[in-house]
Amino acid sequence: MAPAKPFRFSRELPPRALGVAMNIPTLLTLGLVLAYPIYYAAYLSFHKVSLAELRRGVFPFVGLANYERIFNDRLFLLALKNTLIFTAFSVTTEIVLGIAIALLIDQRHVWTSRVTKFLLLVPYAVPPIANGLIWSFIYSFEYGFLNRILFTTRISDAAVNWSGDPATALLAVSIPYIWRTLPFAILLVHSALQGISREYYEAASVDGAGALQRFWHITLPMLRPIIVVILVLRTSFAFAVFDEVLAITQGGPGDATWVASWYSYKKGFSPPFDIGLGAASAYVLAIMVGLFAIAYVGFIYRRID
Amino acid sequence: MDQKRDGTGRLGRRELLMAAAGAAALGGRRAGAQGDGPWAIPPKSKVDKLNFVVWTYGDIYTKIQAKFKADWGVPVEATISAFNDHPAKLMTMYAGGESIDVSQSSPFSFPNFISQGLVEPIGDLPGAKEYLADLTDSAKQVAVYNGQLMGLPYFSTVWVWNYYTDLMEKAKFQPFKTYDELMEQLRKAKQDKIAQYPIIWVAGVGLEQLPGTWYQMTWNRGGVFFDKQGNPQLGPGSIARETLKWWVQTFKEELADPESLKAQFTGSAKAFGAGKNLYRGPNHHYGLNIANDPAQSPNAGKIKVHGSPGDGMTIGDTHVYFLCAANRDKEWAWKLLQYLGGKTKDGQYTQAINLARDAMLGSGYNSVMKSAAITEGWKPWGDPVEILQIWDKATYVAEVVPSIYKPWHFPWSDRINIEVSKALTGQITPDVCCDNLVVAIKEVQKG
Repeated sequence: MAPAKPFRFSRELPPRALGVAMNIPTLLTLGLVLAYPIYYAAYLSFHKVSLAELRRGVFPFVGLANYERIFNDRLFLLALKNTLIFTAFSVTTEIVLGIAIALLIDQRHVWTSRVTKFLLLVPYAVPPIANGLIWSFIYSFEYGFLNRILFTTRISDAAVNWSGDPATALLAVSIPYIWRTLPFAILLVHSALQGISREYYEAASVDGAGALQRFWHITLPMLRPIIVVILVLRTSFAFAVFDEVLAITQGGPGDATWVASWYSYKKGFSPPFDIGLGAASAYVLAIMVGLFAIAYVGFIYRRID
Repeated sequence: MDQKRDGTGRLGRRELLMAAAGAAALGGRRAGAQGDGPWAIPPKSKVDKLNFVVWTYGDIYTKIQAKFKADWGVPVEATISAFNDHPAKLMTMYAGGESIDVSQSSPFSFPNFISQGLVEPIGDLPGAKEYLADLTDSAKQVAVYNGQLMGLPYFSTVWVWNYYTDLMEKAKFQPFKTYDELMEQLRKAKQDKIAQYPIIWVAGVGLEQLPGTWYQMTWNRGGVFFDKQGNPQLGPGSIARETLKWWVQTFKEELADPESLKAQFTGSAKAFGAGKNLYRGPNHHYGLNIANDPAQSPNAGKIKVHGSPGDGMTIGDTHVYFLCAANRDKEWAWKLLQYLGGKTKDGQYTQAINLARDAMLGSGYNSVMKSAAITEGWKPWGDPVEILQIWDKATYVAEVVPSIYKPWHFPWSDRINIEVSKALTGQITPDVCCDNLVVAIKEVQKG
């Protein structure tokens, strides 16, 4: 008996068909884990969905009622406002600090060991909820390290209730968030800096450009694409901040740190479990993030062009 | 009184044998009564496993899980989350189609769980009537809903004050008898630098923490939050509003520990055990179990319980276990429910007794509350006689806040947490806070 011939396509697929075929698994996976939940959340947002309905799988259609309710809810509007403040502050700080630190470790005459570079990335590996808990200890009014440091260094002679004072609570949530996510920005900017040819800087130096001029006319324009990426990603993640709020303030004191995702969580996951309302608020948030992303790309790429 | 049978005062041989046989028969009958009750009858069906979904409180479930397996050969899985996360955990498991045999609820969320179809009535199940007959009034008010028994008690508690003897002696104070006296003591203790913050309140966000403190002090002053017709009692001049004004003052004058606004029951007991405050505001009695535990508190033994001013009226409540509608087998789930909130196979309230002895929790059963599990079991942490005297003056919290029976109480409770926190931190006045809460009632009622 002759040995069986191995199966072989008689001819290769045309490039277009091959491209489609190669993308099918990814499309299916993305469809399953992204598109379906997004569609399902939209579906829920137009229905009355509480615990019993969710279990039964039968949801009465309510049209735009959930959206009407959230836009008439003072707490939702406040949560949106807090989210915008949080996002603006954290994303701006991350970009500024990310560029500054990346430039610092990119300097040839500034020696940074691999250990230092590794340590810079450590916060990104800390689970968000653990990060929140660590910072809640740091902020502790009587026993926290932050007050201890301020007191010891005589910067402050009285303990500050960082997370318990409405004036500082949102900041107290922002700092741990920035601390955790800053390495992401550093990493991206640092990688982008590696791609800028040294020749540009040498030529500029020969022409008499100072450090600030080199940064302004060479580094920053070359970093714009990566800044767009950081802006889009960090804005969308900052809009969805949740873990630090949960671990540090639980929305308090009062409603000082109610952010949009906390609102969705509270509405959907605590009695009376109004999941339709929670889905509607999450959807509003998603639409806002999408609009911001489009605006960033449009604005910054126009500047690049 | 003693009958001398043989004239010598000793029992004869025959009498001795008869007495021994009688004693054995009596003992046997007692044991038989325990063993023959409905709690000892095995379910007809078979299950591979059972589960319960509860919130954490020390290590109170390991033993009862092991006992259930030893008695019935069925392993029990536990899903345990933090108290405030429990409703979300339960809800996601239920909505996700998972089997849940038994779960638990605070009295504040129980009506909501019932209205959502999560809870199965148990009044017709074997032995339920005997449990009902033994329930305390407080337990009945939670466990019986619309005339039907819906759950068995997990634990009962009453709100008590605590004081720290070392600082009280240093300040030369006797425990206060009026709120005015308390305020004066707090001011003097701060002025004399006895304590930077003489009082810590349990004012962290929660269903019973911050709201419970307000409920308790309002009730103690003779106020309620709703009248019998369901009208809110938060208007100008109301006791609840005046109580809030008094409470806010302790924050305004920096007499209250700022950590109060994050303090949950256990955390506040630990913080109070550190010995930095003179008083701890009214909250669950079993905080003494932590504050007076040498393993958890550097000032163990120095934290005392104190009743409320005036006639000493306070509030109490009972948390319950319930048979979940998503159970895998009703008979077996009932069996497991009894292990947590009723009797074990031997006819004993094993879990309730263990909770009293190990965790200082009160019981929802009259028979347990009168037993040595309480009168002796609580002694390591506090004076049971004194606590039980306070217990006698406790009213179920729903008398103060009847909205507990309404499904909208939970979202309204969220608003209480927000508005009162804002008042305590000076963002709004107590008047605005109460006005906002009245408006919020209408909003949450709309759903």
